[in-house]
Amino acid sequence: MNNKISNIVIVGGGTAGWLTAGRIAAQHRAQDNKNINVTLIESPNIPTIGVGEGTWPTMRSTLIKLGISETDFIRECDASFKQGAKFSSWVSGTADDFYYHPLMLPQGFGKTNLAAHWQSARNSNHTMPSFSAATCFQEAVCELGLAPKMITTPEFNAVANYAYHLNAGKFSTFLQKHCCAKLGVQHILADVTSINSAGNGDIASLNTAQAGTIAGDLFIDCTGFQSLLLGQYLQVPFIDCSDVLFIDSALAVQAPYEDEDAPIASHTISTAQDAGWIWDIGLLHRRGIGHVYSSRHTSEERATEQLQDYVGKQFKDLSLRKIPIHCGHRKIFWKNNCVAVGLSAGFLEPLEASALVLVELSASMIAEQLPACREVMDIVAKRFNETFLYRWARIIDFLKLHYILSKRTDNAFWIDNRDPATIPQSLQELMQLWRYQPPGDHDFTSNNEVFPAASYQYVLYGMGFETHYQYSQHLLHDSAFAQEQFLKNQKNIAQVTRSLPSNRELLNKIHLHGLQTI
Amino acid sequence: MTNFVALHNQQHQALRIDTGLVESLGASNNMVPVVLSEFLRLVVHYPIVFTKNSETGNFLTVALLGFENGENLFWNNEQWQSIYTPLNIMRQPFFIGQDNGQPLICIDTNSSALTTDQGEAIFDSAGNETDFLHRIKARLAELLEGETRTQDFIKTLLSLNLIMPMALDISFANTQQLRVQGLYTINEEHMAQLDANQLLALQQQGYLQPIYTMLASLGQIYALIQKKNERLAHA
Repeated sequence: MNNKISNIVIVGGGTAGWLTAGRIAAQHRAQDNKNINVTLIESPNIPTIGVGEGTWPTMRSTLIKLGISETDFIRECDASFKQGAKFSSWVSGTADDFYYHPLMLPQGFGKTNLAAHWQSARNSNHTMPSFSAATCFQEAVCELGLAPKMITTPEFNAVANYAYHLNAGKFSTFLQKHCCAKLGVQHILADVTSINSAGNGDIASLNTAQAGTIAGDLFIDCTGFQSLLLGQYLQVPFIDCSDVLFIDSALAVQAPYEDEDAPIASHTISTAQDAGWIWDIGLLHRRGIGHVYSSRHTSEERATEQLQDYVGKQFKDLSLRKIPIHCGHRKIFWKNNCVAVGLSAGFLEPLEASALVLVELSASMIAEQLPACREVMDIVAKRFNETFLYRWARIIDFLKLHYILSKRTDNAFWIDNRDPATIPQSLQELMQLWRYQPPGDHDFTSNNEVFPAASYQYVLYGMGFETHYQYSQHLLHDSAFAQEQFLKNQKNIAQVTRSLPSNRELLNKIHLHGLQTI
Repeated sequence: MTNFVALHNQQHQALRIDTGLVESLGASNNMVPVVLSEFLRLVVHYPIVFTKNSETGNFLTVALLGFENGENLFWNNEQWQSIYTPLNIMRQPFFIGQDNGQPLICIDTNSSALTTDQGEAIFDSAGNETDFLHRIKARLAELLEGETRTQDFIKTLLSLNLIMPMALDISFANTQQLRVQGLYTINEEHMAQLDANQLLALQQQGYLQPIYTMLASLGQIYALIQKKNERLAHA
């Protein structure tokens, strides 16, 4: 067969490009497989954006699949542990207003739905802790600044489920070295100047300024916001979703710690502001802090002022970066022999760190379902498009959920967010259902789900949503088993908070001694 | 509390060691770090396994003395009942410290084995080292050299993926159940998959013998369970 897929050309050398190149090369053993060539073309002139420094726990399996040592990764990418997100001031805006979206399921999830039992206990007893505190030990771990594991815990194993915060620039460089040295990815430094079409509308090859013409069977567009291949060349339109998600601007700084022993938060902190929110991500040597906001609802001046208040007196010494945000995604992601991964496919506000996980999911699907030949590529492309349109829509729903449950009235931003005209139909339906039953696995039955029902529970009940059980008493059966789970959670809290080291202590030890592989 | 200071022939000239008490210093250890050179002597009594240093996560080899914290099943009737007692017990109350990277003999001045009127002298009246101290120094030297060799041994085994966690679920005579965690041993399956060159390299490094000694020593776990059952029967 002369049209088999052998030459895979990735354009763009950010995290999206390298993760995708690495994932495909590892899956197909490009290092010693003469039938697959993975080439990454990177412009020596375009700086990478370095989206989001937050990941999901999926990053652990991605790193394992790439054959990367966790010790090397942590040491070289300034990585720290992330055990979820703390949302402050999202409901009322008062000082004690916070809830957690941890990375672990509620205790006994799958055997019982604790949400109903928790609500019932909470209504009759106001000393019942918050949903995330009552059902998951991870909130206590985060509140105490503890690591999710110990120095004796092997690489990638966990006491509490975890993801990472990382330095995206260093991560790209780290991946590049690994992909080229270990996985057989060819790295070409060149600027793409024009694109040559094949007769059927496919991309035949790329002309470059420095490396001549590069032909390929499959082109992967990791060119960032410019979406050079899919957007500009193949003219796939961009679907704007600013009617649902209003955030359109970001102001970011990198703030050093006050001293080298300062605690490192082991979760992302997201603090709501007048017309947006501030992220706070702790790496080993610095915090990444930024304010994302809606320019329709506040001014850059006011947004800067709020960021300054958050960061404190060192703010004046830091360099402030302004990044425009266009929330939305391409109408399709795979057209002809070109698929977009990363910012070229789309971008959403970083509220739930969805950028890198979408890259990982895309790279996995391309690597695992790589079409054998051109004849079957359109079938895989169709499947890819359906899968990812579904995933983007679910992420948009989930992000919007955080806004519609707020009770804030201090800025039209919050009021406009609750306007039903801005809420996707799919989310409105779920919200209606959840008035009478808690989110459960039956609400999320696709093989391509991104957020589990548990995540919806953490946000809903964390933000004070009430489900009414008067017509569905059966959800309150087995209360003895539920009580056991609440007790078990308390025992777990006592046990893990006794044994886990602080996040910084563990990171320092990893830099000193490394983690064992077993 | 221990108080380690560098051994000094004037400062410590009058000190003596009650050797009858030395073994009691390990009476409540449930494991003791051991080195490669003593494996053949250890295997007479002790299961030899790997565990992790809780401060660094690094592997070390230990002789297992009991199943729970504080339990030394070899310590009975105020005696360490064995033909061979590990070096890390017999070197007490001395240990090797460092002075600018140079090894230095230290002594725990708070040790209960220290006396001034009976036992073995460390220095004679002129401040010269006694034969007793010479024997102690030989033990410390064996440990010092042994630790480096043992670490190299562990590094090699890790690189060949030959260490694996041990699942130890024990039922004692009184029906008490115990799951012992945090112990590791040789992965026999991976051993069997080594190619000729890898085996030859292990042989030339002198690692084959300690590997098989460790595997053989696992049989001593049954002897240890028996000791525990006897203790439970007399409790």
